[in-house]
Amino acid sequence: MAGRAWSTAVAVVLAGTVGACGTVSERRDDVRAAAAAFETALGESAYDRMCAALAPGTREELEQSAGTPCAEALSEESLPAGGDVRGTDVYGNQARAVLAGDTLFLSHFTTGWKVVAAGCRQRPHLPYRCQIKSG
Amino acid sequence: MSGPASRTTASEPRGLWGFVRDNGLGLFFTVAFLLTLAGQAIAGHADFNHQMRADQLQPVGFGTYVTSSDFAVDVAENWQSEYLQFSLYIGATVWLLQRGSPESKEPGRSGTESDKDQLVGEHARDSSPKWAAAPGWRRTLYSNSLLLVMGTIFVLSWLVQSITGVAAYNEEQLRQLQAPVSWFDYLSAADFWNRTLQNWQSELLAVASMAVLSIYLRQRGSPESKPVGSAHDATGVEG
Repeated sequence: MAGRAWSTAVAVVLAGTVGACGTVSERRDDVRAAAAAFETALGESAYDRMCAALAPGTREELEQSAGTPCAEALSEESLPAGGDVRGTDVYGNQARAVLAGDTLFLSHFTTGWKVVAAGCRQRPHLPYRCQIKSG
Repeated sequence: MSGPASRTTASEPRGLWGFVRDNGLGLFFTVAFLLTLAGQAIAGHADFNHQMRADQLQPVGFGTYVTSSDFAVDVAENWQSEYLQFSLYIGATVWLLQRGSPESKEPGRSGTESDKDQLVGEHARDSSPKWAAAPGWRRTLYSNSLLLVMGTIFVLSWLVQSITGVAAYNEEQLRQLQAPVSWFDYLSAADFWNRTLQNWQSELLAVASMAVLSIYLRQRGSPESKPVGSAHDATGVEG
């Protein structure tokens, strides 16, 4: 456990000092807030707000694969309710938010953190399987 | 390598040109290092942003890139291998010989040699560094200072490679919708050892080829080569 703590400390120092704007806790907070806002919009079926929270590539892929505008496509996706954010990992401009009932992947853009993938389920030794993601 | 400017026996150069002439080797490689580091940063930035655009993600500015883990690991992995190369070479040439090589001592001189040969302790001269004559730990430390410093830089560079490497690796993991790994897990990851060993093998090949090729081949005027007319089996002779 001491090793894991040390490893975590190294990762935190790193993530905060290499290639990022803002402190580790600020960036984690920003990711947590973006994930929570996405989940709040999902809970309120506010699909336009959810679309605005998506990364451009993810939104484009969603619209192309569904053949409908983003909000309509999202309403048909039946994304799981994520619930509370239980943890975040932030490295450079990429992040993962682990929620009680879902996992989101996010990326930093000029306009803030955007959801790159949602409805994700972990698979051993493979990338997460996600309901919506960038092409 | 030639001695410092204060020990120059030829006509004493003066002014800036004199400084440049006396330190040309160090200055040339320092400037070349800075230019190539800048070139690496420019090329690396373009390559990184190419990947970002391909993944439909936000490209980063030059300042962000040169302070990123992606750039840092690419720099550190090469630094550690270069310092390992020189550390091994400094250490190995104390004990190991290569007959005919100007990089090797003559047969029979393997080891740390006598105090008389090394001009230490009572054999130190007036011009010797102070700690060469000093007793105890100071002489021991100074006697091994080159290997200690080069070895320390190697270890620190390798540590930096591992730390920046796990951050860069995890950023890519997240881009590919995969879970990040801990630093300890990264130390046994293929990415860490692939970065490490691909540099080590090239450095070791370069040293081995230098030690052997310099037996038979010459570069007139270079102290890294034997004089052109030296016999192939002449060992420890520098041009």
